[in-house]
Amino acid sequence: MRRTQRQRDIRTAYLLMSPAVLLLLTVLAYPLGWEIWTSFTSLSPLQEGGTAFVGSENYRRQFGDAQFWRATAVTVVYTVVTSAAKLALGLGFALLLARPFRGRALVFLAIFLPWAYPSGVSVIGWYWTLNPPTSTAYAPFMGHAKYLVDGVFGGGAWAFVSVTLFNIWRGSSFIGVLLLAGINAIPPELFEYALLESKSPWQRFRLVTVPLLKPFLALAVFLSLTSAFADLANVWMLTAGRIVFPVIGTHAYWLAIKAGQFGPASALSLTLVPFLLGVLFVLFRLFDPPSPEAA
Amino acid sequence: MNPRPWWTKLGHGTLMLLAAVYCLFPIYFMLVQSLKTPQEDVFGNPFIVMNPTFENFEELFERKSETRGFVGDALRRSYPFLDWLANTFFVFAGSVVATLVISVAAAYALGRLRPPGFRWWRRAIFATYVIPQTILFIPLFQVVNAFGLDDNLLALLFIYPSMALPFCVWMLSAYFQHLPREIEEAALIEGASRTTAFFRIVLPMSRPVLVAAGIFALGTVASDFMIASVFLLSGQSQTITAGIGTFDVALDELAAVAGVNLMAIPVVAISALFARDYVRGLTAAMVEGA
Repeated sequence: MRRTQRQRDIRTAYLLMSPAVLLLLTVLAYPLGWEIWTSFTSLSPLQEGGTAFVGSENYRRQFGDAQFWRATAVTVVYTVVTSAAKLALGLGFALLLARPFRGRALVFLAIFLPWAYPSGVSVIGWYWTLNPPTSTAYAPFMGHAKYLVDGVFGGGAWAFVSVTLFNIWRGSSFIGVLLLAGINAIPPELFEYALLESKSPWQRFRLVTVPLLKPFLALAVFLSLTSAFADLANVWMLTAGRIVFPVIGTHAYWLAIKAGQFGPASALSLTLVPFLLGVLFVLFRLFDPPSPEAA
Repeated sequence: MNPRPWWTKLGHGTLMLLAAVYCLFPIYFMLVQSLKTPQEDVFGNPFIVMNPTFENFEELFERKSETRGFVGDALRRSYPFLDWLANTFFVFAGSVVATLVISVAAAYALGRLRPPGFRWWRRAIFATYVIPQTILFIPLFQVVNAFGLDDNLLALLFIYPSMALPFCVWMLSAYFQHLPREIEEAALIEGASRTTAFFRIVLPMSRPVLVAAGIFALGTVASDFMIASVFLLSGQSQTITAGIGTFDVALDELAAVAGVNLMAIPVVAISALFARDYVRGLTAAMVEGA
């Protein structure tokens, strides 16, 4: 009796999971397979004649390409800078909000809004705010800022700064709320105990708060890394396609759409996957450790 | 705890103020822009609006979906904004509901029924986040065409849920897994079926987590720009996001900012309304580490 019940449960479980699994398979499995296959071929919509299987040619050529290394360097800088800033700001927000005070709900709402504000359109608003049409009242000011930044770091730097600021603005909001939820999930007794045992707030932060928050920090870092690495739309939008500092995402998009080289573009977008899998592995170790209660 | 001295309070207050200004300033700036007359946009102070007007918003609705011809050298276009509004509402609501239904089903299975290897299933679903979206829309286009959904809103209705699903399943299944068994067992002993116990007991008490998943899904859907502009090509079938992307900056600046606000305000209002439950739900899912 017990055994058949368990079997029935398992069958129900598979049934309930099937929509999610089917959806992910249709939307991701074929496209991913296509991308992996294409990365070994010379597929191009512009090319005459058939598509040839070229083996690891696309990958080998890519690693010898100066453009690739430039895009990688920009991506790494972009990701590290935005992730560090988002994490620092987010942690700051979470700690500020952790203790009750008057007006906390309002400050919380203010911190929550940059993420809630739909970035599909706010990115457009940012673009026009930072690169206004020449007629607007603040256009001269923004123009000065642009020339100042571009003058120091080279053309296109201002656009890149605006992408970075936008990413940090929105991401720090998400991470702040996520970490606040994480702090709330920690039993208060642990904090009270820490208050008795430790001497300084800094010590408490380093020895108690950070270790307890580690799984949530890891989750925040992972989500931040995947979104920054794959960041294409924001970079594309905020530079209006005039990309001077390409990240891997925009470089692959450019290769595929403007240059029609699907093979190299696929190879390029896939180079990130092993790295992200490594980060994911660390995340699972921290967040979902194998526990004895596993059924 | 001993009372905190005044300088700590002052420092705390200042930090709060800085945080709030930093977070709200861009939103405020966009709102102010959208309320300006063209005169004020050119000659006024950028940070305030003296004579607020809704004419930019009105203009969006008055426009018909035909080309208005050339003004100077520039093609002056018009936009079917009402269609966009309806499309956006349809796609957003549909995607959030679909995401919730599909992920609650999967999460209940993973966290409660626990088929063999449920941890690996959950990890595998979450791991789909490592697949870069970069040029995935090229093969995705073939899939969409195979279903006959090109330039159709329904295409977004099955792409969007796949973007929010992994996190929602992860969060919800962690929550269901840590819900004490006794909660359902009492009902099961009374003779209720699993289904009844789920709808009568588990679902109502999961409200905050469901809200958290729903808000996350809404945030994900609303933040997309790429998918909408790649898959929705003709004016009639676009969402606001895709549509505003085709605006001409120099000619339509104020109307576009008004459009940005028009889409943002309902989304922000809904999110703000549920903000408290959002945090509570995230916390509930994280208790004991998932």
